Amino acid sequence: MKVLLKTIFILLAVSLSLHAIEENKIKEVMKNQIDSILVIMQNKELDKKTTASKVFSLLDSIFDYKTMSKISLGKNWRKLSAQQKDAFAKSFEKKLKFSYMDKLDLYTDEKVLIKELLKKKKNRIQLYTDLLGKDASFEIIYKFHKNKNNDWLIYDVKIIGVSIIQTYRKQFSAYLKNNTLEALINSL
Amino acid sequence: MKILFLCVFTILLFTACSNKKEIHPNKDVIELHKNNISESEDDFDDEFSNEEEDLDPLKYYNQAMTQFNDVLYTYALSPVANTYADVIHKDVRGIVSNFFSNLMFPIRFVNNVLQFKFQEAGEETGRFLINSTIGFFGLFDPASEGFNLKEHKEDFGQTLGYWGVGSGFHIVLPIFGPSNVRDLIGLSVDGILDPTFSTEKKSWKIPDNLEKSIGLKTLETVNSTSFKLGQYENLKKDAIDLYPFLKEIYEQKRNHEIKE
Repeated sequence: MKVLLKTIFILLAVSLSLHAIEENKIKEVMKNQIDSILVIMQNKELDKKTTASKVFSLLDSIFDYKTMSKISLGKNWRKLSAQQKDAFAKSFEKKLKFSYMDKLDLYTDEKVLIKELLKKKKNRIQLYTDLLGKDASFEIIYKFHKNKNNDWLIYDVKIIGVSIIQTYRKQFSAYLKNNTLEALINSL
Repeated sequence: MKILFLCVFTILLFTACSNKKEIHPNKDVIELHKNNISESEDDFDDEFSNEEEDLDPLKYYNQAMTQFNDVLYTYALSPVANTYADVIHKDVRGIVSNFFSNLMFPIRFVNNVLQFKFQEAGEETGRFLINSTIGFFGLFDPASEGFNLKEHKEDFGQTLGYWGVGSGFHIVLPIFGPSNVRDLIGLSVDGILDPTFSTEKKSWKIPDNLEKSIGLKTLETVNSTSFKLGQYENLKKDAIDLYPFLKEIYEQKRNHEIKE
């Protein structure tokens, strides 16, 4: 009986934690996520691939890659077929992840400080954090939106004032003026 | 016990139901409806700007200059800074960096004052006095280490931005890299206050001609690059198209610095 109860309890706990972040838990969840990411990154025994896949699995539950893809293409997004949207979203997600993994290489023993949570609109929240390095610290802002399932997910990250998605958006629209979407997907 | 099971069963059933929204006779209608809502409620367009909104009259020149600077960095500055970093010990490069940074005090002081940041201007003055004396002509930085006085970087481009002057169009400068009309004006005003740059003899300026000025600027650039080796290469990997990439990062970063 005890075992059964335990199992049920674990199942319930797992099913709860699988649900994306609620508003009042953003700070807490992000702190846990970032701490776990730091632990993985500081583990020098793991090879780069294992580190990446572990970090990615943590990121997957808080990042909204589909929305990121949509914003990054701007008005070009609406012109695409469902198939093209999928293809683009897939390669853009890959690009974001690999670029993130690349940055892991620069990572020494930084610490992350979670600062305040600002509600910008009823469906927009920004979490301010500082990446504290040895010589300098960088402000990193995680921008959350509430999706139609009432989950809060990240749709953009701002590093010292530079929005990742905005930077891609400008490049994509310049690129798509002279090139096709297929060419863009290949260049990602 | 039975009651517990019943409870658990109900909860599970409940969560299961809530997850089965997709299986619905009018699935398509609902999906369509949902999409409509999300298009109107989740419009991100007012948060993000588009490329067409940028005024870029020098686009072709800028693209060419970006390529030029990229080659210059990759084949001249980066290898030179690499060798320099190999030959000169980090501590010595730190001293060189302190020395130049202390000399730039007039630029930071004046621009902090012009932006009414009097506390910061005061801290800058304290830094300059301490580092120029105890810090042995600015070679060391006891102000940060012992007195907890931090540097407050401000330039005239930021001052103009603070006063509400817009950035104007983007200009990629040879060697200096991305800039814009506002920051180019800023750069020339700061040049007047910069003790390491002068084309003629002036009592408080170190060089008295253009060659010496360029020499000092080169040393400063190579020295500061030696602390940032590999950063540009790493950043560049993320670019789809180098010119709009660097332009966007520069403009966003400057806007952020002005707001600070």
